[in-house]
Amino acid sequence: MDVEPPLHEDVLARRGAIVAGLCRLLPEDAVISDRARLRPYETDGMASERQVPLAVALPSTTGEVVAVMRFLHREGVPVVPRGAGTSLSGGALPRADAVVLGMMRMHRILEVDYADRFARVQAGVTNLAITEAVQKGGFFYAPDPSSQLACMIGGNVAMNAGGAHCLRYGVTTNNLLGLTVVTAEGDVVEIGGRHVDAAGYDWLGLLTGSEGQLAVVTEVTVRILHAAEGARAMLVAFKANEVAGACVAAIIAAGIIPVALEFMDRPAIAACEAFAHAGYPLDAEALLIVEVEGSAAEQDALLARISGICARFEPVSLRVSASAEESAAIWKGRKGAFGAVGRISPDYLCMDGTIPTGRLAEVLARIGEMSGRYGLKVANIFHAGDGNLHPLILFDANDADSQRRAEEFGAEILRLCVEVGGCLTGEHGVGVEKRPLMGVQFNPTELAQQRRIKEAFDPGWLLNPSKVFPAADAAA
Amino acid sequence: MQTSFTPEQLRDPGLAAANEVLRTCVHCGFCTATCPTFVLKGDELDSPRGRIYLIKDMLEEGGPPGALVVRHIDRCLSCLSCMTTCPSGVHYMHLVDYARGVIETRHTRPWHDRLLRRLLAALLPYPARFRTALRAARLARPFAPLLPRSGVLASRMRAMLALAPERLPAADGGMAGKVWRPEGTRRFRVALLAGCAQRVLDPEINAATIRLLTRMGGEVVVPDGSGCCGALAHHLGRHGQTLAEVRANVAAWTREMAGEGLDGIVVNASGCGAMVKDYGFLMRLEPEADSAAKVAALAMDVSEALLRFGYAPSRPPAGITVAYHAACGLQHGQKITEEPKLLLAKAGFRVAMPAEAHLCCGSAGSYNMLQPEIADSLRERKLGNLRDCAADVVATGNIGCLTQLAGHGLPVLHTVMLLDWMAGGPRPAALEAAAVPEPEGEARAHELAAEAAGQLGG
Amino acid sequence: MTEGAAEGEAPRDEAGIAAAVLAAYEAREPLEVIGNGSKQGMLRPVQAARTLRLGGLSGVVMHSPEELVVSARAGTTLAELDGVLAARGQSLASEVPDLRHLLGSEGEPTLGGAVAANLSGPRRIGGGATRDYVLGVRAVNGRGELLRCGGRVHKNVTGLDLCRLLAGSHGTLAVLTEITLKVLPRAERERSLAVRCAEARAGVAALSIGLGSAFGVSGAAYVPAALAGRVPGLSGPAALLRVENFADSVAYRVDRLRALLAPFGTVDVLEEEVSRQAWRSLRDAEPLADGEGAVWRLSVRPSAGPGVAERLEREMGAAWFLDWGGGLVWLRGPAGERGHASVCAAVAEAGGTWTLLRAPLALRQVVAVIPPEPEALARIGGRVKAAFDPAGILNPGRMRAGV
Ligand code: SF4
Ligand code: SF4
Repeated sequence: MDVEPPLHEDVLARRGAIVAGLCRLLPEDAVISDRARLRPYETDGMASERQVPLAVALPSTTGEVVAVMRFLHREGVPVVPRGAGTSLSGGALPRADAVVLGMMRMHRILEVDYADRFARVQAGVTNLAITEAVQKGGFFYAPDPSSQLACMIGGNVAMNAGGAHCLRYGVTTNNLLGLTVVTAEGDVVEIGGRHVDAAGYDWLGLLTGSEGQLAVVTEVTVRILHAAEGARAMLVAFKANEVAGACVAAIIAAGIIPVALEFMDRPAIAACEAFAHAGYPLDAEALLIVEVEGSAAEQDALLARISGICARFEPVSLRVSASAEESAAIWKGRKGAFGAVGRISPDYLCMDGTIPTGRLAEVLARIGEMSGRYGLKVANIFHAGDGNLHPLILFDANDADSQRRAEEFGAEILRLCVEVGGCLTGEHGVGVEKRPLMGVQFNPTELAQQRRIKEAFDPGWLLNPSKVFPAADAAA
Repeated sequence: MQTSFTPEQLRDPGLAAANEVLRTCVHCGFCTATCPTFVLKGDELDSPRGRIYLIKDMLEEGGPPGALVVRHIDRCLSCLSCMTTCPSGVHYMHLVDYARGVIETRHTRPWHDRLLRRLLAALLPYPARFRTALRAARLARPFAPLLPRSGVLASRMRAMLALAPERLPAADGGMAGKVWRPEGTRRFRVALLAGCAQRVLDPEINAATIRLLTRMGGEVVVPDGSGCCGALAHHLGRHGQTLAEVRANVAAWTREMAGEGLDGIVVNASGCGAMVKDYGFLMRLEPEADSAAKVAALAMDVSEALLRFGYAPSRPPAGITVAYHAACGLQHGQKITEEPKLLLAKAGFRVAMPAEAHLCCGSAGSYNMLQPEIADSLRERKLGNLRDCAADVVATGNIGCLTQLAGHGLPVLHTVMLLDWMAGGPRPAALEAAAVPEPEGEARAHELAAEAAGQLGG
Repeated sequence: MTEGAAEGEAPRDEAGIAAAVLAAYEAREPLEVIGNGSKQGMLRPVQAARTLRLGGLSGVVMHSPEELVVSARAGTTLAELDGVLAARGQSLASEVPDLRHLLGSEGEPTLGGAVAANLSGPRRIGGGATRDYVLGVRAVNGRGELLRCGGRVHKNVTGLDLCRLLAGSHGTLAVLTEITLKVLPRAERERSLAVRCAEARAGVAALSIGLGSAFGVSGAAYVPAALAGRVPGLSGPAALLRVENFADSVAYRVDRLRALLAPFGTVDVLEEEVSRQAWRSLRDAEPLADGEGAVWRLSVRPSAGPGVAERLEREMGAAWFLDWGGGLVWLRGPAGERGHASVCAAVAEAGGTWTLLRAPLALRQVVAVIPPEPEALARIGGRVKAAFDPAGILNPGRMRAGV
């Protein structure tokens, strides 16, 4: 059982003084402390968990972050860093004794260098804004989580965000050159830079995906890539999940790495089609979006190769998009999938496990069986190339029983992911959501090792409290 | 998103509708990225999702909202960019309009705020009063430097004075009850929403619209009794005035529909179009619900009308590049994005789109007078992006945007002015002022136009 | 199992490794961890009473070509692993260098050694480093405890990413016992363009154009006149760019690149086999392997590479070539403290990192072999080391004196 570590009562008692202290460090409109206005900060993209924070601080510079961090460290106040608040695992969930450190004002692009192929930006720049800033030069920033329009690079680093194209281009950690971070004690540390592979321990790699447990990211240097000459998607529909899974294996075994390989099951197809009108076939059990890149001739050649492979699996339909617009429409459905599900259900839980790709059909069959057992619908979206599975469990948050069943259902899916050789989270992070399940994937020795590393960075457990580490562990 | 209203509360149909909107929001936060005020302020509270949350709390608690909360709702431009972005189909417009009404009834604003809002609601919708006010403002402008340097009131006053145009065009001589006959055989018949503020600020827009439509074989009427669409009062949260204005229009147009019939109700100001198209929802609890829904279904932006009824240019291309500024009421309010660009291209213009086209220019009805600082920042940002287009002229489909953007070195005009010119109308005056070169073959074009007209006539 | 302290232990299974580490931990006796010793001449020498050899712990555990994953025990030789992958048309994507000639060592390089040193070859610039391909590891920490990090799936953000931390930690935090990697299909065809460029700056500009193009350049090196004769296929100073892909794509891309790069100088094309030999030579730093002197490997921003290299050529008569689009400077110069100080200063000014890769023992004992860290980070680093290895028994002093 997951027990919440106790709040710092002394911090609650000193609330007034702490707010006053923040007000001395930041401009007037950068500190929020009245209850009515703290409420919108009580939750993030996972709205089922809510806690009103002690205060919100909105720094605009690394210097302000340092000042705030030093002050809070001295006062022993927990800090919850927050980017755009799009986390689906409650990564930015506050606590009553914590100050939310909102990075949304740090949205400047600091440097773009096409010759050396990097961009340096503040942590509050959105993922898509980086690509927009380098598009003129023909470049892009590769990781593209579904929330790329809104999510911020600081949060991407904290969660090691992935996206639909990471089979080819890797996830956040594979696309970083440097970070400026502020430690729990309030020291600024530059990690990496404009070059690759610092000698010494890979702090860059350790900090990426550390969910705000080790330091606060204020600036990020990312690698930018030149965009391919063009990209085109194809849609292939199958009559069974097994068949779609086998087809994915055959494509990869043939030595082809498409830039994206996305899978949707029947309910997901229906929801996305209703939103995007991309012409998804509504009568199929499983749908693959396969995207390739290159010149028009290269696209043709690759799509022909892939079509040839798909044909062996008797697709219900196979449509190669003829234009960039058609491809965009195809992607619109997939990228808006989560929101689209919001149209067919008042609430949903978005799970995020990873499984060995070969086990897809078996896992989906078992999820289907659970769906019947819990009496809740589920739509599955799967990054088929890399094994990242997103079951969206539909429920009604105004019905307490429905919510409880949804949470249990989700936990059972994640246990299944670990059982078949996968993991609890592929890209959303552990956050508060999967914290109680950490013991499913890690044994006590392994958890203790992770905890010791956390303590090496943050001995007082003040950074993003009540996340990642199981409560009993954190309190120990 | 979870809500916690009592069954009691939900018996209020307005609140029930708001609850439906709240329930569709999944709190994903996508909308924050495209919200102009969030982009400027970097605060969840100034984002759509933050406002939705503030409104939810305000409605759940039921008491009067605090001034700090009201400030964040007031900062909303109602540009509806969030609705374009939202993948879950959250109807933010209905929610915020409802919330504004609630604020207006439960919250007491400072005296000067109340005064200003009352003034705006009493002036803008009425062309005659608005003309007089603008004249007064022009006379008062020399005194602007005497206003205190800081303070909400002073900056708002300054903003209002700055927005008053240098030269006021001649009055259009009243439009109500008039009918404009088609050139040649009548192919269709439409009502024109003559509008309010626009008629005073730039009567040429209506004139060009009428020329365009009649040239295409349309009969245009402005039925007696139709007036302001009600949006200005609506966005100020003045429910009673809004309903009265809407009711008058619905009655006038319904009479017309029952009489000679209408193929459409043409609106050439984007915000008004969005409003009229929503009449069905606004009046859903009123006795006129049915007729309001029918009126709403007939409403169309002038760009939709021109495409539907077959716009065709008669002059050769002018060799001019037009930066198209998408008015929020069109791109977000009515989801009209391609039509105006298509028409401009059809008319032979090169069309350039500015970066951040989704961001509001800060005009937003009376917003630029109520929130001058945000409005100014947005204007500067928009002008910068428009200048980067290196176009000869900026075209947009809304009088508000025109007033907001004009006078800063870029010629800005309504899309219909350009379309009318290319279809045989006069060369827009804004082009003269900006010294956009007269295209070659102008004389020949006039001949062509005359020929075309002759053919139509014959 | 034990073969005596001098020879060191060479357990054949993970439990044996854990037992050996535990014994050392309990005895508080330092342990030198080595694979087959191919990189023993790198970095700082380890003073240890005990030696733990991983060469006995070998074998490919799992290879799933459709899932692009392979797992192998740490002592598996790269040659064996490569054979298994090649049979299914795949390979390790990061092109791990074989530094035996450079370091004058003999043991067969192992997977564990490659990962522990995070050694990556030319393909690093387009793809990623060796650690970018590590999906999971099993390892024994300094307390003799077995840890599993990561897994066998491509996306995994569960908990802290210890895989990346362990990759490149040179056995100072934990002893790797098994490694799971992402592998990629071998390209159907490869070809390289050699752009004749006498000036390094122009050469790097050409590389930058290639890497900043849409044509998927997978290797970008510059070889100056002095070393050109040592690289197969080159007859003079050249910027070398590699394309690997399906055959028809390679033909198309080489044509497009040739047109793009023509303004920089005559462009020659190196066909399949010659191209392969050229890149293998650069990968293993062959052009610098012979000859006296210390060898450094510097990483700076690509455009800074020529400046740093030429400065050190002037200051200490260094021989050099550039990889990774100009950002990786391979440098050979006199082995002495003065030269080392020049290298450190030049890199510090340009912003970057360095590793003293080859040097006589005497030098490696007295100078830092990798740059020092800022104080705040060093403090945390010490605590992280203690978090894995509280008694400080794993490869003490290998990366930094006293750590
Ligand atoms: S209407 Fe415009 S200003 Fe208001 S919340 Fe939506 S996007 Fe923001
Ligand atoms: S995008 Fe839509 S669903 Fe998401 S937070 Fe905004 S309004 Fe809610």
